[in-house]
Formats: sequence, structure tokens, C-alpha cells
Amino acid sequence: MKRLWRWLIPLAAVPVLALLAYGFRVSPRDIPSPLVGRPAPGFALATLEGAPLDLAVHGGKVVVVNFWASWCYPACYEEAPVLERNWRGYRERGVVVVGVDIQDKREAALKFVGDFGLTFPVAQDLKGTVSVDYGVYGVPETFFVDRRGQIRLKHVGAVTDEVFKATVDRLLAEPASP
Amino acid sequence: MTADLGYGMTIVALGLALYGGVSAGVGARTGRLALIESAQHAALGVFVLVTSCFALLTYAFLTFDFSVRYVATNTNLGTPFYYRITGVWGALEGSIILWSWMLALYTVILIVRHRVGARELYPWALATMLGILAFFLLVMTVAAPPFQRQVPVPADGRGLNPLLEDTGMITHPVALYLGFTGLTVPFAFAMAALITGRVGDTWLVLTRRWTIVAWYFLSLGLLIGGWWSYHVLGWGGYWAWDPVENAAFMPWLTATAFLHSVMIQERRRMLRLWNISLVILTFGLTLFGTFLTRSGVIASVHAFTQGSIGILFLSFLALVLLTALGLVAWRWEALRSEGELDSVLSRESAFLLNNVLLVAAAFTVFFGTVFPLLSEAARGVKVSVGAPFFNQINVPLFLSLVFLMGVGPLIAWRRASLDNLKRNFLWPVALGILAAALAFALGVRSLLAALTFATTVFVAVTIAVDFTRATRARLRVGESLLPAMGGLLVRHNRRYGGFVVHLGILIVALGVMGSHAWSVQTETTLHRGETAELAGYRFRFDGLTAVEESNHFKVVGTFTVSNGRVLGVLQPAKKFYPQEQAPIAYVDYRLGLREDIYLVLGDFARDGSQATIKLQVNRLVSWIWIGGVVLTLGALLAILPERHKSA
Amino acid sequence: MTRQRKFIAGGVVIALALAYMIYAGVTQSAVYFVTPAELRAAPVPGKAYRLGGMVVPGSLKWEARSLDLSFSLSDGTATVPVRHKGTPPDLFGEGRGAVLEGSWTAEGYFKANLIMAKHSEEYKAPHDKSEAGYRELLKTLRGEGR
Repeated sequence: MKRLWRWLIPLAAVPVLALLAYGFRVSPRDIPSPLVGRPAPGFALATLEGAPLDLAVHGGKVVVVNFWASWCYPACYEEAPVLERNWRGYRERGVVVVGVDIQDKREAALKFVGDFGLTFPVAQDLKGTVSVDYGVYGVPETFFVDRRGQIRLKHVGAVTDEVFKATVDRLLAEPASP
Repeated sequence: MTADLGYGMTIVALGLALYGGVSAGVGARTGRLALIESAQHAALGVFVLVTSCFALLTYAFLTFDFSVRYVATNTNLGTPFYYRITGVWGALEGSIILWSWMLALYTVILIVRHRVGARELYPWALATMLGILAFFLLVMTVAAPPFQRQVPVPADGRGLNPLLEDTGMITHPVALYLGFTGLTVPFAFAMAALITGRVGDTWLVLTRRWTIVAWYFLSLGLLIGGWWSYHVLGWGGYWAWDPVENAAFMPWLTATAFLHSVMIQERRRMLRLWNISLVILTFGLTLFGTFLTRSGVIASVHAFTQGSIGILFLSFLALVLLTALGLVAWRWEALRSEGELDSVLSRESAFLLNNVLLVAAAFTVFFGTVFPLLSEAARGVKVSVGAPFFNQINVPLFLSLVFLMGVGPLIAWRRASLDNLKRNFLWPVALGILAAALAFALGVRSLLAALTFATTVFVAVTIAVDFTRATRARLRVGESLLPAMGGLLVRHNRRYGGFVVHLGILIVALGVMGSHAWSVQTETTLHRGETAELAGYRFRFDGLTAVEESNHFKVVGTFTVSNGRVLGVLQPAKKFYPQEQAPIAYVDYRLGLREDIYLVLGDFARDGSQATIKLQVNRLVSWIWIGGVVLTLGALLAILPERHKSA
Repeated sequence: MTRQRKFIAGGVVIALALAYMIYAGVTQSAVYFVTPAELRAAPVPGKAYRLGGMVVPGSLKWEARSLDLSFSLSDGTATVPVRHKGTPPDLFGEGRGAVLEGSWTAEGYFKANLIMAKHSEEYKAPHDKSEAGYRELLKTLRGEGR
């Protein structure tokens, strides 16, 4: 009898390990943005190639507005391929990805776009008004705008495939008019 | 190219470590020396590879090689030279490489020291060390690779967290990690003892010096951390019971307990099970600490980012604990003690009580640290316990421990007679009570302060009593005073080294008590030319200036301090780093034996006409650092090789 | 064997004493994590809370001379008025996350004793050295004290 009791000793570690494992299920609470649920501020900029970039033109589509900069390392470098990949995947389905480059030099922006092979419209917010309108505090910040022009999600930090797909799929399922 | 080379070396090192661990284990089992030697070569190879990785990474830092992602994240073109070196271990991946390097170093030292003379235990200890090293190399390869390529290469990196641009950054992690990794060796020998069944004194004697060295580095790391916190972070504190701080403190507590309980096992052949359990617990807490800082499971200001690394660490912790405890269960019979406790009033009892109190303190800290998890798991409500919880419970425990510091070394073994008690403790107790009365007479009203005075004087007198008595014995034999005293220190260096360490702890205790009981602070806004007053000091705001540095610019406030006569000028600053979201405050201070003056610049008007400052007058904090120095000297004395061994 | 039983009894006493101290410590210093919505739903005056949310833009008022700081903290659903004495930490600001420790007052606001601002690892603030704001700051400060 006594000989078997001793094998309970290793089991003493189990409750503690279980508690620590439980810690993985608990996720830190995200702090939502006050802008969510409001209409997305309009803007009319020019892309790096010189074409006009107007938010109003894309009414009825799901718009992903991504604020970035070439000096924003590492996050912007991590999300650039994600944005390009998903842009190519979703562009035929009524989704537009728009890049707004803030506080950057034109050459650096062009190099960034070239290095990552970005094909979605990218414009520089030279006056800084668009970032102020959107309450952009840092980069990268990505705003997901629904078909009715309302901001539905603000993502701070590098956008991931999961976040992009989950949000855009959800917004695509909604109707364009109320 | 650099990234690929580094990554390749990491993988080879991992393979070698795995091979070495298995080889040593099989060699130990079958007795084939050739396998053990092969494992030794593998260990040496791992050390060379990890050193090369470290050197390569440092080189990448020094040459601004932004093609390596880790370099781009932790440095930028403005980072000063020396911080480019220390920045190597400034973030997660680098910390793992530092840890691995130290483990590899300790493994090589273990080989050199114990290859001959620890026939039975050595191969298994080597196998254990290599196994643990392999795990950290696995983490380096899979979860936190320092050599990831960054494509496209950015023109400039992100930069080191400015809070890390401090001399504390150079020493604190190094000391702390030397302590943590050092504690792996006693654990490895404990595993060897369990596996071979040789659970007697052999493994203890072998690991004695390792334990003291590791304990010393851990103490040093904690003290430097406190100092860094005090003079950089701007809240005038040196300890916050933050989960990451607690993670380093818990193994220190159990390691201290182990340091003491080994003396009982050496003398009386008791507490075998207790000692083995303590070593396993200490190593487990070390792993828990690294898990805590890197998994994001408990929120902390220190924590690194999360990821798959948490799961890896938890799995390894589970493996280690279950294996070790399983071995304990297996060797249960052999671990039963030979000796028995004779009396409550004995040295064995005092040491045992010391251990119980230290483990109780460690448990309290652990409980408080994981409490948020516990409450959420149990009731779905997220609750944490703050500093008051830890202070409330630990203060009585620590005060009792200080008291035991005086009792333990003097009380007799086995059973202390009344006569023995009187002879040893009459003066210390009397003077201790006198000290408390004196403090009361001088105006001290805090019970805690009075008790602290009484206890520290009690312990100091016991040390004096012991030293005087021993010196007198030598004088009687014919030695002259100074050689007698010096001889004592050298011949019985473990004992007197211990006494010096205890003295250091006493000084730290007084410093902690003083800073808690008598520090004052205030916050105020001053126009230029206006003066603030605190604790007899006057602070006049003279103005603001702006200075541009290589990778930041700073706003400096100038304040003239006087207490009747002008003492000097304090210049707290705020540094603005381009890559940081907010400015970082830099404290200015005047350190003193009795009190420190501490000034933080808060808000300021753009035109320099007004500034908001936080003022502190902290009492006796310097004693903490002084106590730390004394502790260092004591530990060094204790580590000295023993010339003439006394039983 | 009675000696051994004495030691076990001693051990049990110590364990019980520790358990009691821990229990007392927990009940006295427990801090409850809440969101503004949760706090608004059931505020208990005098209870120690840790409140996490975002500082509502436009709500921040800082009175340097009296050291009065007041703002509103929101989680998108509910808003809590907060008051604090003293300068906030450097990372604190409108539109950013903050975690506060304090208590709910009978007067209907949250009295914060401690403000901890969130530091985001993934974020980089658009403060280039060449940015206008910094140059301005540098200029105005250099104009003084020379």
C-alpha cells in the first residue's frame, strides 16, 4: 500500500501546470476604438502614379484603409505581403484595399511599394489631414469600412490573414443598402 | 548570408546537444567510456557554436546589418556603440541566446571540474545538462530564432527600447541569467543522484560551490535590478512585486533555503528528501520564471511578447517536474533520513524553521503572482492582489528570518541546554531590547521600525559574540590579534563568509525599513523662479533647456537644491526618441547615506515657463546598495577554496 | 513517536497560520478588473478596481497648478468619468489605452490612484525627427534659457 502512495508525488505538479495552461485560454481584453460605428471620413488624394484616389468612388464596396509608412519597421513590413495577397484574392468580389502613406518621403514610399510589389492604390497623405480625420496615432493602423461607408473595425498593428479574412468576409455578407 | 549562417549553426548546435545528451545517458547506463567522451566533445562543440552565434549576432549589431530581422527590430542608425552590444540581449531572441550560451559555458566547466572524481554521478549530470541545453537550443531554432532574414532590407531599424539604454542593461540580465543557469548544475547532479540511487552526501558536496556561486549571481542580479528600477524608472521605488520580479525572487528564496539545509544534511545526514525536493523546486521555479516572462500568461510591464514560446516552456516545465518527481517517487526508500530531530531548541530546528519560512515566503509570492489566473479559473472574475498583499505577509516572515540569522549559527546542535542558551544569547537579546527602547526614546513610533532595530542589533551582537569568542581562543593559544582575526576568516571562510553575508542582509533590512517607514514625497507645479519645499530641502525651478543627441533629443529642467546652503543643481530630463510613442522621463538624484533626494520632471509648458515635478526624499535607500556590496564580499569569501578543512 | 507528532503538529500550525495570513491578505488587497461597462452596471463605492479602457478624445483636462487631471475612460459601450491628482505617466494620452487603479466614489466618478498607460509593441508613432511638431518644440525651448 505504502509503495503505491509515493507515485502520487508527481501528480502534485499537475494542478499547477493545469492552472498555467489555463492562462493561455485567457486573452487580454482589447480596447475598442470610439470611431467604430461612425461614417468613414472621406478623402480625395492622388496615388503615387498620379491617378485620383477618392473614397466616395468606392461606395457600395468593402474598403480596407491601411495607414502605413516606409520607416515603420517591423509591423508595416510584416503586413504588406498580407495586404497584397488579400487584395489580389478579394478584388473581384467588391473589396478595395487603399494604402495611405503618412509622413514619408516619396522615394522611400516608391521603394517600399516596389519592394513588396504592391498593386493596390497607394497615396501619400502629404497634408496630414486624412490621418487626423481618422484619429491615426501610430502606424500601422487599418480601418475596415463596410458597404454603407461605416467604420466597423480599427486594427492597430500589423494586419494578419485571419483578421483580414474574418472581417472582410463578415462585411461582404452584409447588404449594401439599409 | 549572416542570417543563414547563424541559423545553420543553431541547428547544428541543437543536433549536437541532442546527440551529446543521449550519448552521455547511454554511456552512463552501459558504462562505455567512449560514449561519455563523445558526449564531452559534443558539449564542447555546442559551446563553440553558440559562442560563434553570439559573436555573429553581435557583429551584425555592430555593423547595422538590417538584413537580420532581430537587428532591425532592436537597433537603428542612431544607437550608440555600447548599446549596440548590450542590445544583443535586449529582447526575447537575444535573451535565449544568452541563456543558452551560459548553459553551454557551465556545461564545459562541469566537464572540466567533475570529469575526474565523480565517476558515478558525472555522466548523468552531463546528460541532464545537455538535455536542458538542447531544449533552449530548440526554443532558439523554432520559437525565437535570432537569425531570421528580413526581406526587403529596411533603410533604418526600429531601435532599442530607450529604457534599456542604461548601464543596468549591461549587468542586470547577465548577473540574473548567470544565477538562473547556475542553478541548473545542482539540479543536474540531483537528477544524477536519483538516477544512480546515490542520494547520500556526494551530490551535495559536489554542488556546494556551484550553489553559492549561482545564489550570489542571483542576489547580485536582483540588487542591480532594484538599483536600475530606482534610478531609471522614475517612481522612486526599487521593488514593485511585479510578476517578473517575483519570478526571479522565488528561486532566490528556495535557493537560500537550500544553501542552509545542505549544512544539516552534511552534519546530521537528515533532510535528504527535503534537499532533493528543494533543488527540484528551485529549478522548476527558474523555468517558471522564464515561462512567465515570455508567455504573456500574466500581464506585467516587463514581459516580452507572446507566441508559441509559452507553450514550449510550459511543456518543458511539465516534462521536468513530472520526470524529477517520478524519480523521487522511485527512490523514496533511499531518501528516508537516517537522523532525527532531537529537540525544538537546536540548530537543526533553527535551520529547518529557516527553510520553512523561506518556502512559505516563496509560496506566498507564487500564490500572489498566479492569483489572477486562479480567481478567473475558479470564479470567472479577474482579480489581482497588489503590493500590500505581499508586504503584509512577507514582512513578518522576513523579520523572523532575520531573527533566525542570529539564532542559527550560535545555538547548539541536537539539543541546546539552558546554559548554552544563556551563554550565547543573553547579551544579544539584552542589547536588542535596549536598541528598541533607545529607538523609542529617540522618537521612533513605528512598531515595525522598532522590531527591525531590535532584531538587527540582536543578530549583529551574536556575530560579534561569535567572532570575539573565537578570536579570544586563538589569542589564548599565543597568536596576536590581527593574524588571529585574519586566520579565522581564511580558515573558516565558509562560516565567516556566511556571517559577512548575514551582515549584508542586516544592512539591506535596515535600508528597506527606512525607505518604507520614513520616505516622503510630493508633487507640485512651479513657475520659473518659484521654490518647492520638502523635508527641509528647497527646490528652485531655474528653467528648461533642449539638447539634441545622436538618437534622441532631451528637455532638461534645472533645479537648485538647498537646505540652508546651496547643495547643488538637479537636472531631471525628458527624452524624446523618434521611434517611441511618448517621451521617457529621466530622474536626477542626490544620493546620501541618510537620505536621497529624487526629482522627476513631469509635465512642462512649451515656452519653458512652468514645470510640474515629483519630489521625493527617500530615507536609508543607500543602505540597500551598501548591504549589497557587503553581501558580495561575504559571498566571495565563502567561495574561496578551503585551505585547511575543519570538520 | 510523540516527538515526530509534535513536529508535524508544529508544521500544521505554521501552515494554518500562513493560510490565514494569505486569506486575510487577499481579502484586504484584492483588486477587481473591470471594464467601464461592467463598472457602470454595478459600481460599489470603496471597492478597489482596476479599470481598463480608452481615454476619450477631447475629454482630457489637466490643471498644472492644482495637479488636477480629469478625463473620461470608455470601452466603446460605456464611459466612466475619472479624476486623478498628479501628472499622468508619459505614455498616457487621448485616444490611447490606459489601465487605472482606484475606487468608485459616492459622488459618481472614479478616483484613480494609479494610471498605467499601455505600451504597444507593434506600434510605431509617426514622430520622425524631421516632423514639424518636434522642430517646433525644439525651437521654442531653445529660445529660452540662452
